[in-house]
Amino acid sequence: MWSVGTPLLPTTVRSAAELPLYDMGVTDPLARLRRREPATLHEIVHQNTRRLFRAAQGMGFSSAEADDLVQDVFVTFLETLDRFEGRSQVSTWLFGILHHKVQERRRSRARDDLHDPVDELFESKFDAKGKWIAPLPSPDRVASSAQAAGAIADCLQGLPPLHREVFHLREVEELSAADVSNIIGRTVTHVGVLFHRARLRLRECLDGKGWSPPR
Amino acid sequence: MMSCKQVSTLMSTGGLADAPLRQRLAVRLHLMMCDKCSTFKRWLELMGVAARAESHAHEDEAPADLEARTLRRLERSQL
Ligand SMILES: [Zn+2]
Repeated sequence: MWSVGTPLLPTTVRSAAELPLYDMGVTDPLARLRRREPATLHEIVHQNTRRLFRAAQGMGFSSAEADDLVQDVFVTFLETLDRFEGRSQVSTWLFGILHHKVQERRRSRARDDLHDPVDELFESKFDAKGKWIAPLPSPDRVASSAQAAGAIADCLQGLPPLHREVFHLREVEELSAADVSNIIGRTVTHVGVLFHRARLRLRECLDGKGWSPPR
Repeated sequence: MMSCKQVSTLMSTGGLADAPLRQRLAVRLHLMMCDKCSTFKRWLELMGVAARAESHAHEDEAPADLEARTLRRLERSQL
């Protein structure tokens, strides 16, 4: 048991003498984390709570659900801490846990078909030489308006869950494709395909909601 | 010479950042000459801007006591 404000050593360590660097402030963060030092956990909760909450909402969960999810993520984080090898950042590890929780809640695993109808839509916009058949309408005129904000929320809602998650992690959290690949357990290439499809779907949807000037 | 389709795909998969320098330069050159791909790029950028704005608008919605409640739960889970 540990409590906030009271440093506590794990039961396997009998005294601080077994951890020579313990009080010298030079131990690496991972070691401090492993010992479940309250100050370190505190810091991690502080640094990641809002971000995880925002991500859960960004994936379509209500405030109440996001609240639950965030707490569950940290509980699991603490339970699985010994498996954390420090190869990725703590935040990436936390997003990975969130991803699993989200999958569990959805029960049905998000389908990630090799084939997606949006691919054909994209294909149809180019001729045999790969040139645009017709120009896309310009999005500039209305994209900054309040109407645009409503439209993006609606259109994000309409994305398949995994597309929405990848889009959020790449665009809002601004994580690298490699990080997202770790989080969702797909290859970097697959992350790229999902990101591409998410953006095509979004564009079509926004186009239909007046993001481009009337033609 | 890269086609519009290749350039657009490279941009929307987010693979441009990791592409070899030669490819990145080819894309930049293509964009200088191609309005259509530039418009597509503009779409991608504006969708990102709008999604970030929409998400940050909810930034303060995380309940103020969520951190404290989470820490209490962690304490309990360690009992
Ligand atoms: Zn082009």
